[in-house]
Amino acid sequence: MKNYFSNKLAIFIFAFPALFLFTAFVIYPIFPELLISFQKNDGFRNMGYIGLENYIDVLNDKTFWRANFNTLLIVFLSTFVGLPISLVLALTMDRLSDPMRRFFKASSVFPAVLSVTVIAQMWIAIYEPMWGLLNSILRAVNLDKFALAWLSDSRTVVLAITAAFLWQYIGLNALLFYTGIKAIPKTYNEAALIDGAGFFRTSIKITIPLLQDVTKYLLVLSILGSMSQFSHVRIMTGGGPGDISRTVIYQLYYKAFSASDFGQGCAIAILFVIECLILTFIINKFVAREKIEF
Amino acid sequence: MSFRQDGSWDMKKRKIRILVNTLMILTGISFLFPMYWMLNISFKTKSEVYDNPFGLPKEWVFNNYADALDKFNFLRYLSNSLIYSVGTILITVFFGSMLAYCISRMDWKNKNLALSYISMGLIIPAQVVIIPLLIMNRELGLKGTRMGLILPYAAFALSSCVLMLYAFFRSLPRELEEAACIDGCTIYQTYFRIILPIVKPAIATQCVLIFMNTYNEFFLAFILGAEDRIRPLTVGLLNFFVSIGVSHWGQIGAAMIITSLPTIIVYILGNEQIENALTAGAILK
Repeated sequence: MKNYFSNKLAIFIFAFPALFLFTAFVIYPIFPELLISFQKNDGFRNMGYIGLENYIDVLNDKTFWRANFNTLLIVFLSTFVGLPISLVLALTMDRLSDPMRRFFKASSVFPAVLSVTVIAQMWIAIYEPMWGLLNSILRAVNLDKFALAWLSDSRTVVLAITAAFLWQYIGLNALLFYTGIKAIPKTYNEAALIDGAGFFRTSIKITIPLLQDVTKYLLVLSILGSMSQFSHVRIMTGGGPGDISRTVIYQLYYKAFSASDFGQGCAIAILFVIECLILTFIINKFVAREKIEF
Repeated sequence: MSFRQDGSWDMKKRKIRILVNTLMILTGISFLFPMYWMLNISFKTKSEVYDNPFGLPKEWVFNNYADALDKFNFLRYLSNSLIYSVGTILITVFFGSMLAYCISRMDWKNKNLALSYISMGLIIPAQVVIIPLLIMNRELGLKGTRMGLILPYAAFALSSCVLMLYAFFRSLPRELEEAACIDGCTIYQTYFRIILPIVKPAIATQCVLIFMNTYNEFFLAFILGAEDRIRPLTVGLLNFFVSIGVSHWGQIGAAMIITSLPTIIVYILGNEQIENALTAGAILK
């Protein structure tokens, strides 16, 4: 039995293909990326090592900081607006009758299973200034002065894109919270009910603290997801008007593939990785305490 | 469940319940309404979209669908999307489950290191390495081939697949292998004939999850699948939208409905399985 599980050849055959694939396409690319970030590179040739020049150029570029601001705004909104809404929906879902819950589950996950191209194009129609859904509603309730050209107004464009992005995943996140709620043994809630605690008290004192693991999982998921936001921006505005709604990944894409500067593109990617690591570190530091076992 | 028998309290509770139910129904509808709206628009003429965006079509036109299909190679993009999704599933689930089994059941020195190593994939977004991936594809001769997308997809799907299956394999009793060993099975036979069938539900979950992610993936396909021949639906659809501009919303709506129809049908048939698969990660221990 012992050499059954420690058969060296079998271990190699089982472990090697996946580890090789993973190393080749996920881990290894980081090394050429670092290398290129110190090069002058037009996408086809290395035109010499130029030290930190790419990084200096990137950090001196106003558009890069604008992109960072936009990205962090999206992260902030999905963490402090999107996730709380999902949590409230999940807590409410837990109290619904069965048919109501089934309807709500099915409809709320629906946007998340559709492709981002469809969703983003749909939101272009919603924001359409003349006949779009949003402005039609605003006009119907006599708020004409708020009926803006959402996607071409520099004040609203990032918020408008974020709303579409949040809308697509709010239901899925609610379902994830709800799955976590269902995993909490009923006895906790029953004990609270007998003590006379209502919905709000039970939620705040019992359910939410016990959801810690799911919350952390969702935080990581939604922060990394909004950090690397590209597709909604690409489809809805193409980074515009001008370069106002670019995100960091959009700026990376623009530098590398529109301005043909792989050196600066790679420098942006490396800076982006550092930002992601800092955020992951913060989550791990402040959100995770010991794992909860029921 | 109210412990107070006070009538006014019950009245208040009922009112709250009705209010909450109404709010939840409205929220639920708000997730569905835009798709209904697109369906509605897809039956309107070019000018009616502007004059009557929300009401039912005054004059039902069906040629938006024919026109959209004419300009937009739906079958090509759909088959590309399916090739990418199925290819990624095959590679990821086959190799990923083997690695997960190897880490959770077999005895070797660095298996915990291997687990942490593969977990690193969870915090590296694919967007980050897009430039080196493009260069690698060029150098390996994968540029312009479907493999050039499937391999990165599979590599990036490995982390969550391995971690989830690892949790399942760990919960199986060792007696399974002991019995198989006594019966004279080799480790490969044991794995493929006995262990894999037992974790079939977890494998199915993985398949749904990877399918959803790959079928709807945009960024890598947008950059690595630059040739029309190998474009999946997500990118092909964007090109169609760009090509007709914002002038003909009837056709845009029709294209949206056509491309979403496969997803909608699958979702209606199996929404519970899909919901379970999408949430499997949340309660992983």
